[in-house]
Amino acid sequence: MKILTCVKYVPDAGDEVGFESDFTLGRTGPSSKLSELDEYAVEQALRLRATIDGATVTVLSVGPAEAEVALRKALQMGADEAVLVSDEAIAGSDVFGTAAVLIAAAGYLDEVGLVMCGMSSTDAGIGALPALLAEALGWPLLSNAAEVSVEAGQARIVRSDEFGTRVVEAALPAVVSVTDQSGEPRYPSFKDVLAAKKKSVTTIGLAELGVEAALVGAGAARVQVTAVVRNPERAAGRVIVDVDGSSVDDIVEFLAAATK
Amino acid sequence: MKMLLFIVAVAITVAAVALFIRGAFTLYRRISAGVPSPERLGPVGPRLGAMFAEILSHRRFTARPLVRIAHWVVMVSFVLLVPTLAIAYVQVLDPSAELPLVGGWVVWQWLLELFSVGGLIAIVTLFVVRLRHPSDPDDAASARDWRSRFFGSTRWQGYFVEAVIAAVLVCVLVMHTLRSAALARYPETAADGSWLHYPLTFWAGQLFWNSAPAVLEAGISTAAALKIIVSMVWLGVVGSAATMSVAWHRFLGVVNVYARRELDGRPALGAAAPMLVDGRPFDIRDIDDLDEDATFGIGSIDEFGWKGLLDFASCTECGRCQDLCPAWNTGKPLSPKLLTLSLRDQAAGGAHTADVFAALRSSGAQSADGATATLVPTVINPDVLWSCTTCGACTDQCPVDIEHVDHVINLRRHEVMVKSDFPEEFGSLYGNLDTKGNPWGLPPRQRVDWAKGLEFDVPVLGVDVESAAEVDYVLWVGCSGAYDEKGKKTTRAFAELLHLAGVSFAVLGEAETCCGDSARRTGNEATYQGLAVQNIETMAEFGVTKVVASCAHCLNTVGREYAQLGADYTVEHHTQVLNRLIREGRLTPVAPPEDERVSITYHDPCYLGRHNDETAAPRELLAAVNAAPVVEMEHHAKQSMCCGAGGGRMWAEESLGSRINAARMDEAVATGAATVATACPFCSIMLGDAASSRDDAPVVTDVAHLVLAGVKRGLNNPNPTAKEA
Repeated sequence: MKILTCVKYVPDAGDEVGFESDFTLGRTGPSSKLSELDEYAVEQALRLRATIDGATVTVLSVGPAEAEVALRKALQMGADEAVLVSDEAIAGSDVFGTAAVLIAAAGYLDEVGLVMCGMSSTDAGIGALPALLAEALGWPLLSNAAEVSVEAGQARIVRSDEFGTRVVEAALPAVVSVTDQSGEPRYPSFKDVLAAKKKSVTTIGLAELGVEAALVGAGAARVQVTAVVRNPERAAGRVIVDVDGSSVDDIVEFLAAATK
Repeated sequence: MKMLLFIVAVAITVAAVALFIRGAFTLYRRISAGVPSPERLGPVGPRLGAMFAEILSHRRFTARPLVRIAHWVVMVSFVLLVPTLAIAYVQVLDPSAELPLVGGWVVWQWLLELFSVGGLIAIVTLFVVRLRHPSDPDDAASARDWRSRFFGSTRWQGYFVEAVIAAVLVCVLVMHTLRSAALARYPETAADGSWLHYPLTFWAGQLFWNSAPAVLEAGISTAAALKIIVSMVWLGVVGSAATMSVAWHRFLGVVNVYARRELDGRPALGAAAPMLVDGRPFDIRDIDDLDEDATFGIGSIDEFGWKGLLDFASCTECGRCQDLCPAWNTGKPLSPKLLTLSLRDQAAGGAHTADVFAALRSSGAQSADGATATLVPTVINPDVLWSCTTCGACTDQCPVDIEHVDHVINLRRHEVMVKSDFPEEFGSLYGNLDTKGNPWGLPPRQRVDWAKGLEFDVPVLGVDVESAAEVDYVLWVGCSGAYDEKGKKTTRAFAELLHLAGVSFAVLGEAETCCGDSARRTGNEATYQGLAVQNIETMAEFGVTKVVASCAHCLNTVGREYAQLGADYTVEHHTQVLNRLIREGRLTPVAPPEDERVSITYHDPCYLGRHNDETAAPRELLAAVNAAPVVEMEHHAKQSMCCGAGGGRMWAEESLGSRINAARMDEAVATGAATVATACPFCSIMLGDAASSRDDAPVVTDVAHLVLAGVKRGLNNPNPTAKEA
């Protein structure tokens, strides 16, 4: 069984992010990398692999040729194989376009029994992709997992959110997305780094997948970005000094103003 | 009766020598099973020179002058007495026998007498020292026992070795006393038995002038036989216990000193030993040539080089290392001595003596006895391995040149590079270093932000200046100096001083990355070399040769370790450069008026003092700016105590025991000083943290700030009469 793990190549959140004239992301930034949230998905896929007989981990990404960097990182962490779908026609795709490519790739690859995703990308941050994949594949979605396990063909997750902690189960094949609470991603040992040098990244285009170019790319995007605005600089906070309880009124006043 | 004594002596000698040869052979086999280290065998001449210089001077016996003298006397008496043991076999049968050639020679007799009496006084002194540091390894909770440097040393072995020496020396003195009496009482031999020949025992010999000659002869025979028997019991016991390193150090310690890492007499500090892969130093630039099965660091006992195994077998269990270890002294399970003994016993199959085992168990270093192939976590608790700050106090203290710090780093290399098993915090450290080139993960473009607002420009190489040849120095800012708020202020102060002194300098700007110290000392050699190679290439591009750094870790790494990768720079510490500028008259600090002066204490950064031998320059600077010498803390200079940040501990939680920086601040507070000066940003951060949690703490600041204040006082008040200093 293949555990297909979808990962994204994103600009480093700490860097200045640039945008093209059409408001798509500038890809010339200083350091782009494997999305940190997707590292959690890779980590959980690797941990699941160890518990399932005959399981392998395939990492899949849609992006420019440079996205190989992200896949290489996943290979260093221990993924068995990596596939990059790269095609000029894909540039400018929205989440629906990306999902269409990933779904086609999931069908293109054999024996996929489980699709793993991070909870969201760190650049666009839409977080809809796992649901779109599950919908299109017709598989159950186990989203925002803080814990994942697979036993006897059954996936089981623990999800903790503002409503409480829930245990959700579904039969495989299924789509699972994991949160940053699911367990720290491993730092590859140097042995792993060396071993990854022998693994290759397979790059394919839309033609191999049989996806029509007209269905993806900026032209097909249903989401249109009309403007990019810089967040206001964070202002300095206000310090309230307490002398024998004198701050109570100030704090009440502050909270009242903030919640208006 | 003489014949009976002789037979007993010979019989016990045969048995003891057989046991000893077997023990020596066992050790030889065990140590030579280590990875070949040809560089530790030659060059023979310089190595022999260094060995004799070190052993004869006892120069590695730092501090404890009484122990140094006592041990030296005992050592010399041991060497002198070996030939007298040989003649003792003859003396059992013929009490009048003397050593051929030197036997009746006055010089030899004086030497023997002096070192026999001196040796006896010395060994009793050492015995008393051991008794005054009682230790019950079953009682780690008792501060008295736990603080003892002999905690975990095998007690009976120490007492046994010392008692044997005392007994042999008593035998020698008895023989001399009776011999002088036997000679002095008859006029024809009186000259040979006079005080001139027996300067110290002649006087006691007078008591026996009335004894019958047969009684004297029997006494000499018996003493000679006892001397042989006691010596041979020692030899036999030592031969049966190849891990009795307190006894074996007499032989192995000599070889260990011969095979020491540094031929110039320095301890194995400064640069960490290169990581060897198949016997060759690892170089990340040759990554494609690496063998598929290559292994990194040391994961099992048989991966140590023979010098490592010899280190463990030579440990005298003196505990100087443990006594100064910042981890041990703050209640962590790491003791450099117990680590060494764990490895020694592992090389011998895994069994510990009762005291060592009790100490390992009660300090939390080990929960079970037994031999296994993997060192961490079974033989060495991960908490032991990761508690080390690589401060180097252990290695600096060790009289037999054990290389604790290199061993710790090699063990960590295996954990990180093969097993990827390390304290969780290092995961983000490595990620930040790999992707951003600094420990905090901050953007490289912020690297020159520290210079904003200065009244002069700080030129950046490749932007404002083409080549390093255009400036006096390249200022290596370092990550703390570029990103940490305290560090940035220190960098500014130092840059202002250089500017005031008319020294031109440039920085590498965004092209500078972390020097790699924290990666290297936590065992991540790959990340370290990745950063190092990048910096070396950058500096080669601008032809950098002269560097000044305000961080002790950068000083060590760029200055000493980059050379292992082919670089060649002169790297100085900012305190060294400032000291010279003052001496040359280019900076003139003025002390505050007497009524404003406060006392200053100085905290030695480990990587400046112990690792790079610089303890004088910062003190001279402080004396110059304060017109008074610094007030010293209990531990200072080469015996200084770490702030807790070295060895990558800067980036890890300190959850075991008490906090090292707080313990160090206790020492600073005890001096009564109003200011703690230091000369490394890690120390500033750690001590600053410790100071912020208490009301009585002194102000923590870098030496550069105090120098700048002094220089500004001079500029504001150029009247030379104000210069009381």
